[in-house]
Amino acid sequence: MRLAPFWLVVLLLTPLVALLALPPFGQRMVILVGIYALMGLGYQLVFGQLGALNLAQGALFGLGAYAAALTAPVLGPFALPAAILAAAIPAALVAGPLLRLQSHYFALATLALASLVNLVAVHAESLTGGANGLAGFATSLPRGPILLVTVWVCLIVGVLLYAQLFDGALGRRARLLREAPLVAATLGIDGAAWRFVTFVAGAALAGLAGACSAAMSGVVSPEATGFSIMVLCLTLVVLGGSRHPMGAVVGAALAVGLPELLRDLQGAWLLAYAIATLAVVLWAPEGLAGLIDGLRGARRPPPVAPGLPVSVPPVRGRDRLIVDGVSKRFGGVQALDDVTLSVERAEIVGLIGPNGSGKTTLLNVINGLERADKGTITLDDLNIERLPAHAVARAGVGRSFQALVLAGDTKSADLARAVATGAAFLLLDEPAAGAGDGERAALAAFLVGLGDAGRGVLIVDHDIELLSRVCDRLVCLERGRVIANGRPAEVRADPRVRASFLGLEGIAA
Amino acid sequence: MAYALVALGFVLALNAAGAVNFAHGDLVVLGGAVAVFVALSTGLPAVLLLPVVALAIGVIGILAARIAILPLASRPPEATFVATIALAAIIEQSLTIAMAGAPRTAPPLVGSGSFEIAGLVLGRQPLAIVVLGALLVAAVWFLLERTQTGRRMRAVAADRHMARAVGIPIGRYVTLSLALAGALAGIAGFLLGHQFLVAPTQGAGHMLKAYIAVALGGWGSVPGALLGALGIGLFETFVSARFGDAWASAALYICVLMVLALKPQGLFGEPVGRRA
Repeated sequence: MRLAPFWLVVLLLTPLVALLALPPFGQRMVILVGIYALMGLGYQLVFGQLGALNLAQGALFGLGAYAAALTAPVLGPFALPAAILAAAIPAALVAGPLLRLQSHYFALATLALASLVNLVAVHAESLTGGANGLAGFATSLPRGPILLVTVWVCLIVGVLLYAQLFDGALGRRARLLREAPLVAATLGIDGAAWRFVTFVAGAALAGLAGACSAAMSGVVSPEATGFSIMVLCLTLVVLGGSRHPMGAVVGAALAVGLPELLRDLQGAWLLAYAIATLAVVLWAPEGLAGLIDGLRGARRPPPVAPGLPVSVPPVRGRDRLIVDGVSKRFGGVQALDDVTLSVERAEIVGLIGPNGSGKTTLLNVINGLERADKGTITLDDLNIERLPAHAVARAGVGRSFQALVLAGDTKSADLARAVATGAAFLLLDEPAAGAGDGERAALAAFLVGLGDAGRGVLIVDHDIELLSRVCDRLVCLERGRVIANGRPAEVRADPRVRASFLGLEGIAA
Repeated sequence: MAYALVALGFVLALNAAGAVNFAHGDLVVLGGAVAVFVALSTGLPAVLLLPVVALAIGVIGILAARIAILPLASRPPEATFVATIALAAIIEQSLTIAMAGAPRTAPPLVGSGSFEIAGLVLGRQPLAIVVLGALLVAAVWFLLERTQTGRRMRAVAADRHMARAVGIPIGRYVTLSLALAGALAGIAGFLLGHQFLVAPTQGAGHMLKAYIAVALGGWGSVPGALLGALGIGLFETFVSARFGDAWASAALYICVLMVLALKPQGLFGEPVGRRA
């Protein structure tokens, strides 16, 4: 979502009006909005784009604040980059183990880290001044207009970059990572690298915001690392819109403005703020910035689900996919037992077998979603059995899924995505499931087209008629073992295949 | 023992909602606060106060389910996280206003004083807490393992879709679990509120400890959560006696981080698929 001119005007006018027309008190509020918005913008990267609940953003903000307070007397304005590093370097150090964690453990680990930082801030008195904090230090930038301009220039650059970056392809990749990490991996998106970059960049912004807040208030206390800053950051991002480029700015404006508007309520403003956040979570998941866009009539039409690709371009890449002696065990179940098969370019191989015979597991093992216990998988001379899914995808193996994982997704879109990666080999899991006769005919034509374009296809499906028509070969699995491999007519005539699979399905060969 | 009640409620809510309830710690504090206020305004004896507190926080639990958990069931777990964090902030702020910032002490469960058994001097209050805690844990165990209602609650927790498929009204059992979780939290708050003070800002700390207990004890496992909570209680008592409170908390957090770094799936892995 490129930034609409409306928002650009808001972004530019706010600091200008503040500089030219507002008294120092008003300027201070605008600076504070900018500071919170910077912190929130950083938070949007991790929380909004990747959907990971990072509960350490407040602590990173505090790290920046303390770093700025401690280094400003020596470094002057260069305390700002120092503060950015003070937040970004620890973030980069802990990112490795931290980012492997799943959602609730990630939240817990970041919360524990934040609590540690807070403990240090309270108890390491010689460094941090203890519970009273630091005060009276020479600030990195003079308060007032210079700080205001610095904060807002950083913010405007940040928002524009964010809007530019997450517009288009990159934004769609982020959405895929957030909503369907497996699909993202099979399209060659390196989730680990994404998480690292967004986490560290988010930390850097938090550090910058912390440093600016130290410069503005001239005081840093352990509260800067505390849970209330974290909650403020989270709620302002949710309130404003967790992915909208202006979400953090709108949220920050509310966070600063609301207490002024509700001054009569005194302490109750946080209460009102929390209630507003809850309401937004429940009824306006896009946040207030999205709501404002809606009122402006700037809502985008929902994307139209694509049909099957009409033409498949030939691609370069490796010539042969070989699975050799692959075994995989889940607890007591031997899901794959010494499976050997190969797929050439321009060849369509059908994988059949009763439910639970290991078909989907085989596809998962080939494209790196599961790791084989034994055996090798090679693309020509490249071993891929140990590569993560995104690397397998980049080496030239695409994948479509049995069940849809994305809201509003279609089977056709899933197939189109796999083809669009330009992979030389495609693993298709039950593309015909749930399709009507017309769709099956279109699918058959599409599969033949894939072969004609020189792609190698390994397809799992229960529609034996469809497979017989389009496949060069059929491979039949039973309890993880290959029991037949050959031309469709031969495999269908095989007595073991008829007994184990076709008989069960009640289809005459 | 009071930690065990906090963790027990937390894990019940977790399993039922399929997401961490960040407001759980604040329900604990609310329990303490209700005990304080009801005791001040009515002078009810502690034994009668207990059901009042349990009932009141149980109702809050139901409200939490209706407001912040059930409507978000079909959204990613992060939506529930945020909603319950907002709920936590609402409770905390309301309490701050109501209590005017001053921490209070909840009345004791039984009269103070101590007695001797076989040469051991036992405080009546700690003993009463342990007995009451054990009774409640046993009652919850009986409910979950031995009654049809408990079986349904576990079914909803284990697989929501399957539970719906066999005709269990999901919403009712999620609400029931949250009510139970709230009641336990309230009682825990009452018990902790006498031992320590009741202050509105303690919620995050309670929540974090329950969260850690559950993460260490095995995500979603009820006995695991109890063990985890008891372990944390002992650990804290031991370390803080020797090195002070700050070091006890720091050591606890560092342990948690190390466990997560070494075993990203939690100490005992996850018995039931992926939950959040």
